Amino acid sequence: MLSRAASSLFWMARYLERAESQARQLDVSLNMALIDVPEDRTEQLSVPLLVSGTFDDFFQHHDEITPQNLINFLLLDDQHPASVFNYIRNARDNALHVRGNLSADVWETINRAWLDLRVLQQEGVTESNASSVFDWIRERSHMFRGAAYGTLLRNDAFHFLRLGTIIERADTTARVLDIRHVMATRAMEEQATQSFFEWTALLNSLAAFEAYQNTYGHSLDPSSVAELLVLSHQLPRSLHSCLEEIAGLLDRVESGSAQRARRMASSLYANIRFGDTDYIEERGLHNYLVDFLARIQRIAGQIQKDYMGWHQ
Amino acid sequence: MLIETPDAGLFDELFDEGNRVRPHCRMLENWLLESDENLIAEKRREADVLFQRLGITFNVYGEDQGADRLIPFDLIPRVISASDWHKLQAGLRQRVTALNRFLHDIYHNYEIVKAGVISAEQVFANSQYQPGMQNLKLPRNLYSHIAGIDLIRNNDGDFYVLEDNLRCPSGVSYMLENRRMMMRLFPELFAHSPVAPVEHYPNLLGETLRAASLQANPTVVVLTPGRFNSAYFEHAFLARQMGVELVEGADLFVHQNRVYMKTTVGPQQVDVIYRRVDDDFLDPLAGNPSSMLGVPGLYAAYRTGNVVLANAMGTGIADDKSIYPYVPDMIRFYLSEEPILKNVPTWQCRKKKDLQYVLDHLPELVVKEAQGAGGYGMLIGPKASKKELETFRGLLKAHPEDYIAQPTLSLSTCPTFVDEGVAPRHLDLRPFVLSGKKIQMVPGGLTRVALKKGSLVVNSSQGGGTKDTWVLEDDLC
Repeated sequence: MLSRAASSLFWMARYLERAESQARQLDVSLNMALIDVPEDRTEQLSVPLLVSGTFDDFFQHHDEITPQNLINFLLLDDQHPASVFNYIRNARDNALHVRGNLSADVWETINRAWLDLRVLQQEGVTESNASSVFDWIRERSHMFRGAAYGTLLRNDAFHFLRLGTIIERADTTARVLDIRHVMATRAMEEQATQSFFEWTALLNSLAAFEAYQNTYGHSLDPSSVAELLVLSHQLPRSLHSCLEEIAGLLDRVESGSAQRARRMASSLYANIRFGDTDYIEERGLHNYLVDFLARIQRIAGQIQKDYMGWHQ
Repeated sequence: MLIETPDAGLFDELFDEGNRVRPHCRMLENWLLESDENLIAEKRREADVLFQRLGITFNVYGEDQGADRLIPFDLIPRVISASDWHKLQAGLRQRVTALNRFLHDIYHNYEIVKAGVISAEQVFANSQYQPGMQNLKLPRNLYSHIAGIDLIRNNDGDFYVLEDNLRCPSGVSYMLENRRMMMRLFPELFAHSPVAPVEHYPNLLGETLRAASLQANPTVVVLTPGRFNSAYFEHAFLARQMGVELVEGADLFVHQNRVYMKTTVGPQQVDVIYRRVDDDFLDPLAGNPSSMLGVPGLYAAYRTGNVVLANAMGTGIADDKSIYPYVPDMIRFYLSEEPILKNVPTWQCRKKKDLQYVLDHLPELVVKEAQGAGGYGMLIGPKASKKELETFRGLLKAHPEDYIAQPTLSLSTCPTFVDEGVAPRHLDLRPFVLSGKKIQMVPGGLTRVALKKGSLVVNSSQGGGTKDTWVLEDDLC
């Protein structure tokens, strides 16, 4: 397939995954801010800014972090590249670019999300209706995946689209885990009731709370949470699941002479597949995740070089 | 629902001169009379939402707000009887055959010029004539693989060819989506009407494009100027329907006179390019040097015969308005047949006598630029102000060779939904004719309708809309 099309499919899917994940982060943070004592509210609200790497940027436009400021900045701001609005706009732009490779169902799902979002932006979103907007974004993302799974040929167009989704997902899981694990561990040291909420916040922002209860069925502890989010081969957002799919997809992608991305992904996958909690604890979760993030970013860069390099 | 009857003296597609419904349109009339106004209004809104969702939009040049506008879609179909279509089809086949013969001739043996049917000056001095195409052998001697022929029905009830589009005629995606929309909104209508299908057009197009190359299994691509082009939706639509890659200039490159596309597994050779980019922009080395839409070296590859362009370069000479008056003679010259389709009488202002006539009768005539397109830069005499008439008088005297003039034809009308209800509006018809191993077309084409009362300009860039076009398989029903 065309390199440009592969690149557009990859980024289209990345942006949609990013939009969903940002909606989840915002939803959890705004909820936590209601529970938290006032002095901790700012920290809660800053999590989505830290995950998207826009903390400094935010303060160039706003004086303090309030729920409404956060909604305006990360959800609707059309001037700010890291808003859900612009993620979906970029996804739609990329989709438009590869309309020839998309089924009508996938295209319509994305185009419709964009058209509806424009109306939402005009009407504005406040704290009181924010939750329903987050739900709406999640539903669009589910619909996109459903349409992709249900209607696309399992060819390279599909493989590159999935690669975009999963690489973005692996990146998000590692970032959220890194930031929220520290917060929850600290809360646990300070006060038990509050820590319960912190652990649920971490799990909820990665759609993993029910999965945790299912798998462990006992009270929340730091090591099990890390094990689930990093090593579980069952949890769809764990680093293990993401890498398994990335390595599998790169095996299936038709490749000429380019093999580097494939090698790098297989090596990282083997690393996680045969890793255990002792290894992670020995290195320290934070160091482990920093290293993981660097490697996943190198893989993403190498995929672009190997398959989409014509366009750089 | 009430239907406003047509103005006297005009041909209406639904009603005859006595305001009786034409027999083949009876089921349509019944449907209109039975339909509730509110239901129709609701269906119209539904159609708008669906088109918006599909992304069937177009851009108007020179209009910022125009980005992503919908072409108005009218729910009342335009019906063509089986016998009318039968004749049209034969006429289109004849006309396109002659035009392709003409193109081959003027780039090879110049027989039509030698025979004195057309003057050498009118062919070779025409800015659309591409000397670079001389003696280039093309597979099957085909130049215009995809032709869009604009027809109107005059008040005498006959179809006339208004112009031939032999470069990159567009609009076929609207024909297909309009049908899909009608079937979705009014399935019951189709259950009882013998409407000929059009859905197989992309298949025929794919077949035509593969036949354009002599390779056994050629790689075909659609070349688009990109997503900011007014017809991008159509380019993507056709590529997807045919299952071929939609490429932009930057996706292609030329190496040793062969054209390749840049794929995830390296270069892949391309054999046929269905290009929706104008001649001048195809290759910055040969045409417009500032073109970002083309592929450097493409022209050389084309001259070598390593790639087929559909349509060929240099077809613009045959759909030029100054060549148009000669098409009936071409048919007689190449095919020894009498033309089946009528031409509109045309005065060529380059001729002294014709120019004098045009200047004397300006308020009755339509004046067009010989090389204009899209309804820009034309004068409709009967509707023009004194000032506009004077402006054109000046233009005609200064550059007579740039203009042609025709009598003001009364385009036929068809009932159309407008704010006041259902009223007659003027329309034209663009069938798409495909030339490959044989000539093929789907029944009907794109019907464009002028939504403003009395307006004769159907172009979408000038406020025109579209309708579904029904060719009946059988007039007896």
